[in-house]
Amino acid sequence: MHLDSAQERMLRGEMGEAKQFAMEIVSKVGDAVEADKLVPIKSAHVLAHYSSLHDAGVEVLERFANSGGKFAVPTSVDPASIDLQRWRSFGISEDYARQQFRLCDAYAKMGGMRCWTCVQYQVCNFPKRGDTVAWAESSAVVFANSVLGSRSNKITAGMDVACAVLGLTPRFGMLLDESRRAGVSFRLNLKGLSDLDFRSIGFFIGRNSGSRVPALVGLPGSVTSDQIKHLGAGAAAAGPVTMIHFPGITPGSGTVSEATGGGSVEEIEVTRSGLGDIESDLNQISELPDLVAFGVPHLSVNELGELARMFEGRRLKAGIKMYAYTSSQAYDMAKRAGISDTIEQAGGRISQSTDAEISPLKDLGFDTVLTNSAKLAEIVSSEGEIKVGYASQKEIIEKVTT
Amino acid sequence: MNPGVLRGKGLVPGAARGEALVSGIAFTFAHGVDPSTGVVTDVRSDLRGKSVKGKILFYPFGKGSTTASSWFLETVRLGNNPAAIATEGVDLSAVIGSIMAKLVYGKEIPVITGITRAAASELKSGDVVSLDAAKGEVRPVR
Repeated sequence: MHLDSAQERMLRGEMGEAKQFAMEIVSKVGDAVEADKLVPIKSAHVLAHYSSLHDAGVEVLERFANSGGKFAVPTSVDPASIDLQRWRSFGISEDYARQQFRLCDAYAKMGGMRCWTCVQYQVCNFPKRGDTVAWAESSAVVFANSVLGSRSNKITAGMDVACAVLGLTPRFGMLLDESRRAGVSFRLNLKGLSDLDFRSIGFFIGRNSGSRVPALVGLPGSVTSDQIKHLGAGAAAAGPVTMIHFPGITPGSGTVSEATGGGSVEEIEVTRSGLGDIESDLNQISELPDLVAFGVPHLSVNELGELARMFEGRRLKAGIKMYAYTSSQAYDMAKRAGISDTIEQAGGRISQSTDAEISPLKDLGFDTVLTNSAKLAEIVSSEGEIKVGYASQKEIIEKVTT
Repeated sequence: MNPGVLRGKGLVPGAARGEALVSGIAFTFAHGVDPSTGVVTDVRSDLRGKSVKGKILFYPFGKGSTTASSWFLETVRLGNNPAAIATEGVDLSAVIGSIMAKLVYGKEIPVITGITRAAASELKSGDVVSLDAAKGEVRPVR
């Protein structure tokens, strides 16, 4: 990969230790993926949650922060592993919280936006069509490429911070027109789609796309950005999907033919039985769960409102906890609107600034979790320590409340 | 039939020798390998219950979360990392994890790509192989 003279100076350490460390990472990765050069980014999204970064990740982020690293572009951050305001009341230990707060402090020192969400595109990070960004968080990358018309590769931990410090990313993969063309087209001809269906459709696409970029035809006109958010998260959880062309929604892809660049591609029908297979794969329990989890990825304030309406006048059965995960910003709005009161009266809680799949569920004593998130179900069932149930929001609420 | 030399392309430099550990399906360190032991925990992995520590790890593709590189780096910090990784398609998490292993912990974990699933299946887990990223090849050791 070619470096210009300013970038060479960074690599030699003439622009500080943090930029040198970042450039060492980014230039080596650029060489490995055969990028031709580095290009500027408009924003970054990085990971700073202790459950996945571990002590090694704490060391790396502190190394950046303590050697003078500052984010060169607006930078948002994925959820933490704990509710940053009320972690004690959720049963998190002091030791665990301490490591998470080391990550928080290092991130803040570098000048990042303290949003702590996996739906930064609904909260604080708004690239426009054509902008190049360097985002971690697979579900957000799908949203950026497929809905916003921005361009991002799925940037993994360590590389994310390096790109943010440089304001640069190697040009390869999803930054290139030829890599973005659809190579398989899914056809949806099903009516009356539930919340679970959108997640399962995504999962079906993720499972059946292989390394091809998928297109999806047949979404109803009523589809919401929240539904697309969950569809994309399901796809990215099931396979290496970083973009889905939704003809008529995805910028530049008015039709399937525009999405494929005119080529003919394999067509796959999304069938009820295909979705049913996914539901039965992800649904391992029939008994009542220890925990009901909504919001992987984070719920919007509208989704919290809908959840509250469904919980109104109901009460969680004894021995079951219900957490709805969201950003601090959506939580504040939900609180002002009385939404959190309704959920709490039913026995549930809103957990802000963290998310289920990156919080220490096992340490908190949960052996079974019931969710409508295909992403959470996939991760938890892969780990094999906690049994997972997968059902629609309506089915779940009917099952766990009186 | 004894497997011959497998040829691919080096992504992260270095050379290593050790027992092969061969997966035929997509692999991830994220929620999939216990960093404190190096044992594969992913219930969907065909390597579940086996340790990656000191092994020449083969898998066709990466999958799942963008946190895989940090799970990988934690296995390095704790000394439970594979000796080398060989994949069919580029797994960015392996590449980044390995680059950071060198920068942060001074450990060389070569990564090569272009070793197809079919070619890797000629090897059996437990066969001793040597991997040389500069040459982009894996050689069975007699």
